[in-house]
Amino acid sequence: MTQVLSLRDVQFRRSHGFALRVPSLDLSAGEMALLSGGSGSGKSTLLWLIAGLLRADGGSIEVAGQRLDAMRESDRDRVRARSIGLVFQTHHLLPDFTAEENVALALMAAGEPERTHMPRARELLASLGIDRPGARASDLSVGQQQRVAVARAIACRPALVLADEPTASLDTDSAHAAMEVIQKACRDAGAALLCASHDPAMQARFPRVIDVRGFATVEVPA
Amino acid sequence: MNDLRVVLVSLKARLVSTLITSGSVAVAVALLLTMLSLRSAGFEAFQRGSGTTHLLVSADASPLVAVLNGVFYANAPSNPVSWEKYGEIRSSFPYEWAIPTLQGDSFRGFPVCATAPEFFTKFQPAKGEPWQLREGHFPEKNFEVCLGSDAAAGTGLRVGQKVQLTHGAGSEHGHEHTEFPYTVVGILQPTGSAHDRAVFTDLESSWLLHAFDRREREGIESKPTVADLTDADRKITGILLRLPTRPGSDGSAAIQQQFDALRRDPAIVVAQPAQQIDRLRGIVGNVDGIFIALGVAVLVSSGISILLALYNSMAERRRQIAVLRAIGLSRGRVQGMVVAEACLIGLAGAIAGVVLSVVGGFAAAAVLKERIGLVVHPDLDPRSAMIVLAGAVMLAALASVLPAIIAYRTPVADNLRPSA
Repeated sequence: MTQVLSLRDVQFRRSHGFALRVPSLDLSAGEMALLSGGSGSGKSTLLWLIAGLLRADGGSIEVAGQRLDAMRESDRDRVRARSIGLVFQTHHLLPDFTAEENVALALMAAGEPERTHMPRARELLASLGIDRPGARASDLSVGQQQRVAVARAIACRPALVLADEPTASLDTDSAHAAMEVIQKACRDAGAALLCASHDPAMQARFPRVIDVRGFATVEVPA
Repeated sequence: MNDLRVVLVSLKARLVSTLITSGSVAVAVALLLTMLSLRSAGFEAFQRGSGTTHLLVSADASPLVAVLNGVFYANAPSNPVSWEKYGEIRSSFPYEWAIPTLQGDSFRGFPVCATAPEFFTKFQPAKGEPWQLREGHFPEKNFEVCLGSDAAAGTGLRVGQKVQLTHGAGSEHGHEHTEFPYTVVGILQPTGSAHDRAVFTDLESSWLLHAFDRREREGIESKPTVADLTDADRKITGILLRLPTRPGSDGSAAIQQQFDALRRDPAIVVAQPAQQIDRLRGIVGNVDGIFIALGVAVLVSSGISILLALYNSMAERRRQIAVLRAIGLSRGRVQGMVVAEACLIGLAGAIAGVVLSVVGGFAAAAVLKERIGLVVHPDLDPRSAMIVLAGAVMLAALASVLPAIIAYRTPVADNLRPSA
């Protein structure tokens, strides 16, 4: 099966002593895996490293066949725009833009032809049950905002979706419903999903769970 | 969706700030363009009073004073020119016309100019713009006056009313020539020159007026007639001269020759009004340079307001920038959007400023005409407008450098954390 993510001996060190070392991590196309671990265990840091938003101190990170660690920042931006979708805990929609504009932004970043932006955005939003694509993001309910954020993540048909605690602020039922939306969207788009969550209840939804605590170390300065 | 759309939505999201900042640019651009426009138009307007005169002869202290007195009615000329001298000058060269003027009296502070009928039929207060009457007719008989438009408005006089002139220019409390009432026979259309402030009459009436005073001092109480006028009574204070020109041309090589010839006469002063007005322009030119500098300073301060508006918005936009970066926009592209925002603010403000300057120019021209009778045609020079417009946009771009650097350096991961 095609690998969409491959990490080898990835090392990352923060100034305050936190360090992350990932000897090996692979994800196949369409595979869904959960990154588990408590707060501060390095789940989000690992996602940002994979997304190319943080630079690793060593090792190799390959996404959709491209070595991010060897690239210039602008090239990493391009890979992120085309091959990686991001879902955040607080959605991070741009409040002054409409739902469809938020989705279209991802298509714009990926370099898709401008004429395709709005039709694709509307199609995705409709498939996720958003009936007001022209409403400003700030005027949507939290649930609708999350769906828009999911639509934005899968808009450019990425090989990999990275979700950072997407259900952290929801009750159990809502969390399962939200995760169902993300997983279904990824399945439909054929994207692999790597989801960070500290919620043990989410583990049952994923065929594979990766405990990040095995990667993190805290070095106490001498 | 495209970068411009992102920039426009961002500007719309901060509409009040955008409008205020653009407004400050608009005011600065309008101020600067109005200054530039009125600067040239103002000096052109000063040329209007000399009209079709090539040379001005008087017995004033200097050519500049001669023009200030003879064209702008600044003061009554201090020394007279004799009628004999007028005849001598007139016959010395085949002038197209040689019109004598006499100043020295006034009416309610408005200067009186006694002159010959040719003043109304041959002399034009502005080139190509002959005298026009709003009401009545030009003086035809003795003791008739017609009023410049400002003098008519200022005194409230109507055709048919009687007036008594005052000895001395600009004085409301001087000796009144009560024994010789004048009749208002005409009111002139505005000319946009200092002549609008004047009251016009014929030379003989003025001579008779002053002959009466002379005779009174000599103990003769009866009113003089034209036959009683002596050579000493027939004084004038200025001569407007025009040399023959070719059709369609206002100049002549003979002007300079005749100017040089008249200059040799120590009893008179001769001036080329256009030259003296240019000289005046050179003297006061530094003052309007200060106004232009002030306009530039206001434009720079509007650039600083763009900088502040963008800089202050950066703190609340860190997350937006981080999101744009996270979805794949490069640092350079996000930085470019910040610069584009500033440029659009500058451009919108500059365009509004150009419109404002056109409106403001006409408003200022109306005020100048109303208050000081100066007719100014504010003419927006497209080249100046383009330079100021480009300058405003460049200044805005310059003002965006610091906010753009902040956008460039925004740490993405830190600003995407829920607590950020």
